[in-house]
Amino acid sequence: MVNGLIEEIKARVMGAEPVEVSYTEKGYHCALETSPDKLSGVVGFFDEKRFYLECLLCTDYTDYLELVYLFNTHLAPCRVKVALKIDPEHPVAPSIAAQYASAYWYEREIHEFYGVLFTGHPNMAYLFLHNGIDHYPMRKTKVPVPSEDQARLDSFKPGEEEDTFFINLGPQHPSTHGVLRVVLKMDGEYIERAEPVLGYLHRMHEKMAENRTYQQFLPNTGRMDYLGAMSFNLGYVLAVERLCAIPVPDRAKFVRIIATELNRICSHLLWVGAYLADLGALTPFLFVFDDREQILDVLEGVAGSRLTYCYFRFGGLYNDVDDEFIAGTRAFVKRMWSRFSLYEKLVTGNVIFINRTRGIGTIAKEQARKYGVSGPVLRSAGIACDLRKIESYSAYDGLEFDIPVGGHGDVLDTYKIRIAEMENSLRIIEQALAKLPGGPFMAEKVPKKLKPPRGDVYQVVETPRGELGIYIVSDESDGPFRMKWRVPSFSNLMIFPELAQGVLLADAVAILGSLDLVIPEIDR
Amino acid sequence: MVNDLLKLAGSDAGKMVIGLVGVLLFVVVNALLLTWAERKIAGHMQRRIGPKEVGPFGLIQPIADALKLLGKEILTPAKVDKPLYYLAPTLIFVPVLVSFIVIPFDASLQVADINVGILVILAFSSITILSILMAGWGSENKYSLIGAIRSVAQNIAYEIPMLLALLPVVMLANSLSLREIVEKQQGLWFVVIQPLAFIIYFIAGVAETNRTPFDLPEAESELVAGYHTEYSGMRFALFFLAEYTNIFIVSAIAATFFLGGYQGPVLPGIVWFLLKSYLLVFVIIWLRWTYPRVRFDQLLNFAWKGLIPLAFLNLLITGGLLKI
Repeated sequence: MVNGLIEEIKARVMGAEPVEVSYTEKGYHCALETSPDKLSGVVGFFDEKRFYLECLLCTDYTDYLELVYLFNTHLAPCRVKVALKIDPEHPVAPSIAAQYASAYWYEREIHEFYGVLFTGHPNMAYLFLHNGIDHYPMRKTKVPVPSEDQARLDSFKPGEEEDTFFINLGPQHPSTHGVLRVVLKMDGEYIERAEPVLGYLHRMHEKMAENRTYQQFLPNTGRMDYLGAMSFNLGYVLAVERLCAIPVPDRAKFVRIIATELNRICSHLLWVGAYLADLGALTPFLFVFDDREQILDVLEGVAGSRLTYCYFRFGGLYNDVDDEFIAGTRAFVKRMWSRFSLYEKLVTGNVIFINRTRGIGTIAKEQARKYGVSGPVLRSAGIACDLRKIESYSAYDGLEFDIPVGGHGDVLDTYKIRIAEMENSLRIIEQALAKLPGGPFMAEKVPKKLKPPRGDVYQVVETPRGELGIYIVSDESDGPFRMKWRVPSFSNLMIFPELAQGVLLADAVAILGSLDLVIPEIDR
Repeated sequence: MVNDLLKLAGSDAGKMVIGLVGVLLFVVVNALLLTWAERKIAGHMQRRIGPKEVGPFGLIQPIADALKLLGKEILTPAKVDKPLYYLAPTLIFVPVLVSFIVIPFDASLQVADINVGILVILAFSSITILSILMAGWGSENKYSLIGAIRSVAQNIAYEIPMLLALLPVVMLANSLSLREIVEKQQGLWFVVIQPLAFIIYFIAGVAETNRTPFDLPEAESELVAGYHTEYSGMRFALFFLAEYTNIFIVSAIAATFFLGGYQGPVLPGIVWFLLKSYLLVFVIIWLRWTYPRVRFDQLLNFAWKGLIPLAFLNLLITGGLLKI
């Protein structure tokens, strides 16, 4: 796949020089450099080849700014890094938002953080920050925001019109589960336009990373996605291990899988409860909390915390698992298997629930690709993309599990997929417990101070919400030079305005809930 | 002196006063009891135990809650339409009180036996919509307004099947007086003859009280708290009281029309009446903690395309059979 693609790029795209790189070292298969005038040709080529835009990020190398476009395909991983160097004095680049809808927000983010102006972008207003920034925060040197850019960034102002009115769904609202604000332009009970406003929980983890060492940043990972903290932990640890080429003992790999899968079940359970509460049924919420409590107790025993875990270390684990953990996990798995029939009776078979969720928020395959959605939302559209299988990491390749997919792409499908994923997670845990090897839980001789070689890596993991990508650039110091988090909820929320168009307010709440958003992860 | 008082109590006006005081007392006690029952039942359905700290089985909890609400500062948002905003929580009590006047608690326990009893209840219950609309409009809040609009559409849609479901019973009993209707059920409860009417009435009744699965006017996850978003303290408590009293009224009418009211062996009539009513109240609470909320268009479709034609058909058949 990769070789064929390189040949094709050479033949089709003028002046492009793709190079194959080692996937184990870098986390991507192929790299290529381009210039602003050739960008649209390159992007057009990937669009035609049915690639999706995984991530768009910027790095300030002081001499130049580098925009990195990561393209990938869903079913056979072939990640291509397209780099575009631009002048830091006059940072201008062509926008690709017309070709890839997912670039729409990424470009806005880069604009407010780096001051890169994307020509042809329809709306360069603030995404995370709010009026009054005087310097671009992510630049390595102090670059003031010029007044015309200030005006551009401040341009989001919804105005009332006759026959329509605006409703603020959030930032404090029972159904946004956190501080997300969605400005809804309403026509009676119907939504004409939905515009998410982010940044109420923005903490600039990416900037924090640049001021810390690799170890110091570890606790931050659990604070982004507080419901899937283990997955974020795992992704970061894997990325640094790839960067520094640290080997991981087998026992640690399996324990990581058990902990991450327990956390995944926990997250999905909470989603089921919160989602049903969105639809007006409050009882399932308490039932799932009962189940969830068992997981929290088990994980607390080894990780020390119940929510924002920081359990994994570079080269292994913080703590070896004990018999209590294994017995507790076994007991939980046994109990959980018997609980599905209860949820089936209470929720899945409920005629009101089915009528509320069937046929709404339908996502087509092409739409999913354009927006770069991932996780259960992507799989509901019928694309069997689960990174645990497609780009296997840790020890997932030795374990047997299915990728549940939906047939309609509607909200009901995402519910069924999440339930099925919990069953598969239980299967994974059972196998991992059976195979759990002895031996050390920590790699020998991991230096206290990590000084990785110069260069960049990309690492993906499948979190409960979808694809998490971590891009790290090292400059041989003991902290990252640049760290970018490609978070699943961010991409999944991007599709919401399109799904919400023309639906009833009640359906919009049901659709928003089905995306399973975790706000601190979107805002970072 | 005592004789004068007794005489006064014996007069029509005196009976009315005593009745009203009794009704007010019942309304408050009933609402307090129901909030406790709701929390306790919900607790046990959700693997919790519900309130337990204040008093035995947490029975004093509602009083503690009421005291808390009384102690709260009465906030009036700056932009509200003051007359409407102030009047709404008070007005919502009018239909509630009037309905109690005609409900027979026992053969001799009824404030007034009006010969068009059911018409009084149905006519006054329409005022509930008015006060909800006033609350929603007067609050100057978009969520409140949407909640109020939903409430109006919903109540109008469900009042029709409600009325149509009660009519066959009126035809069978040949009377509009609630006591007459109970007396006619001496041998056989009307629910046996009219099971469909009973079900239609009960569904419409749940919709009338704005309870899950029909709680769209106050749908928490969509409209925060719907029409009473801007109300706090005692004003909020009044809406709350009215809601619980309405639940009881809907159940009491169902018991009167279909389950034989105060009729029953051995136990005194009032016990039978309360037993039947609270059993239905329990079902309403049970529904709330089991089902998700329906969507607005589904709700209206269900009323206009489902319940109303069915109720008409039922009425037609009943009428035809009676004629033969």
